[in-house]
Amino acid sequence: MRNSAKHQWIYAWLLLSPAMIFLITFTHYPAVQTIISSFFSTGRGRRKSVFIGWDNYDTLLLDEVFWKVLVNNFWYAVWTIPLSIILSLAMALWVNDKLRGRSFLRMAYFTPTVLPLIAVANIWLFFYTPGFGLIDQIRGLFGFAEQNWMGSPDTALYSMIAVAIWKEAGFFMIFYLAALQTIPPSLREAASIEGASKFYYFRRVAFPLLMPTTLFVSINAVINSFRLVDHIFVMTEGGPNNSSSLLLFYIYEVAFDYWDTAYAATLTVVMLVILTTVAIGQFFFLDKKVHYK
Amino acid sequence: MSGAEVTLKNIFKSWNESPALNDISLDVPAGKFTALLGPSGCGKSTALRIVSGLEEPTSGQVFIGGHDVTHTLPAARDIAMVFQSYALFPHLTVAENIVFGLRVRGLVRKQRDEKLKATAQLLGLSELLDRKPSQLSGGQQQRVALGRAIVADKSIFLMDEPLSNLDAKLRAEMRDEIRALQHRLGVTMLYVTHDQVEAVTMADQVVLMNHGRVEQMASPRVMYETPATLFAAKFIGTPPMVTFSPKLLSHCLTPNFLQKSHGLTFGIRPESLSLSDNGLINGTVRNVEYLGADTLIECKVGEEILLCRAPGWTQLTEGTPISLAFNVKDLHVFNTASGQRTAEMLPEIEMALSSQNASSKLAR
Ligand SMILES: Nc1ncnc2c1ncn2[C@@H]1O[C@H](COP(=O)(O)OP(=O)(O)O)[C@@H](O)[C@H]1O
Ligand SMILES: [Mg+2]
Repeated sequence: MRNSAKHQWIYAWLLLSPAMIFLITFTHYPAVQTIISSFFSTGRGRRKSVFIGWDNYDTLLLDEVFWKVLVNNFWYAVWTIPLSIILSLAMALWVNDKLRGRSFLRMAYFTPTVLPLIAVANIWLFFYTPGFGLIDQIRGLFGFAEQNWMGSPDTALYSMIAVAIWKEAGFFMIFYLAALQTIPPSLREAASIEGASKFYYFRRVAFPLLMPTTLFVSINAVINSFRLVDHIFVMTEGGPNNSSSLLLFYIYEVAFDYWDTAYAATLTVVMLVILTTVAIGQFFFLDKKVHYK
Repeated sequence: MSGAEVTLKNIFKSWNESPALNDISLDVPAGKFTALLGPSGCGKSTALRIVSGLEEPTSGQVFIGGHDVTHTLPAARDIAMVFQSYALFPHLTVAENIVFGLRVRGLVRKQRDEKLKATAQLLGLSELLDRKPSQLSGGQQQRVALGRAIVADKSIFLMDEPLSNLDAKLRAEMRDEIRALQHRLGVTMLYVTHDQVEAVTMADQVVLMNHGRVEQMASPRVMYETPATLFAAKFIGTPPMVTFSPKLLSHCLTPNFLQKSHGLTFGIRPESLSLSDNGLINGTVRNVEYLGADTLIECKVGEEILLCRAPGWTQLTEGTPISLAFNVKDLHVFNTASGQRTAEMLPEIEMALSSQNASSKLAR
């Protein structure tokens, strides 16, 4: 008995170890190393990297650009998260109604989401081009003046937000669509026999049944609002005057344009703390409302 | 609460080229239990869904209580429905499931609670009201689905194979219970099943369907005693009626008569055949199935196999020659091509066979 239990343990560890090794090498070790780096200075030339305690964090608190990108990122999240979720849910409901069970058409809807964000950014560059761009051409028909969407500090961030929503909504729609397909049609039929309107059915049946998907999607949306910055490289490079720069973009700039790796590590720690807090909070807050089984 | 009658008039329904329902007309009398019976895929569910309004017919009309409701929404048709899968809302408790429709209709809390209590008591669900459907057994889920139908106070109940997910013992229990419930509430019941035993034991009227058509609409007794078609004859009864060609009786019919009966098929129920010393049919025992009260004897006669239900104590071994007798009145005659029951040659057949019977008795 004892022996076989021991054998099972060995087995379990053997099976787990490949995944564990990769996870530790590429995720946990770098994360810990980042936290350690944030307490050291950046080594340059002959000057060695030395322990400097909270100095990097003091710098951070006084860094105007840091606060600016943090505020930018806050607005970026506040707009992209709810809008992309609502839009994806609305699209999924619409598509599900129109093509119940037709897998080919559903596949067709999936295609745009495999577009890389860089490609999406290129499409949107064409939309935003002052004068010639699609948006200005349409506005021109109604007699509006040209507008430099990405070049003006007032609109640059919101131009980026629109791209992110466009990209994210299509992606999240797939999850909602898959979840909607698992709801048996007889539930809707039973509700309609009882006289429930479409909206009533959505509110009391479909939406609660979609809660696990909503939790999953919203955690992803939060993470993506910090992670998805590819289009900023292509479209604005954070400008003008950092008006469209986000935290991750700023980290990249600090690390690979200014080569201040220790400060970049400090910024990264801030980002990790934000993401972990939000994800954990979300999980516990929504978890109560999610499980119906 | 009392029932209202349901009438379908010349209903056609097709999704693609081949029609699922092909000119269906039927009457479901008020306050009675009508079973919609037929093999899988014959269009029973489609017919039921057209009555409920979940599906619109391609053409034809639906009447409920004398009113044309062909284009009326399901909720306005005075119907309650129990689905094969029960269609319970998995995130709601038993209580919330049952009163779902009452809440939709904005009934006040107090009345809702009263109705819930009465219904739960009727179905023995009082202890389970706070559970979620996933915490219930199949039979309990079935009761919740029934509860949702009962609490709605509708005059017509539609059920689509409600017992097919239950085990045999529970199914027999629920059969009685649903039947009693229908009696007590006095509602009109339209009950879909592919199980002829269920239909025959529960229903006042059976509507037998095949390939999107109505084969026969009659009481279970009439349908058993005088099946209108070959299909009905072979669908009802365990085991069903055995059919054979008139040639099997060639030794006791004149050649002239055989000529005339060329396009006919004869049928006889296993219990109408009896072992005899000197019957009209002579064959050999092919198989014997002991059922306790009865013994089913498979008898090979020429190329055909007949079934005879003999008393349980009968003991025969395979290969024994036996002779089977029957009453001419128990012979069913069908037109082979159309499958319809026919009375055309009945007097002649009776005459020919009864004289034979008489002579065989004399010989004895
Ligand atoms: N929504 C549908 N779309 C296309 N064909 C259908 C649909 N529903 C039923 N059918 C077809 O109609 C016929 C009758 O189906 P149904 O009424 O479900 O049969 P039953 O309930 O008697 O088993 C079947 O051939 C089935 O394939
Ligand atoms: Mg069916």
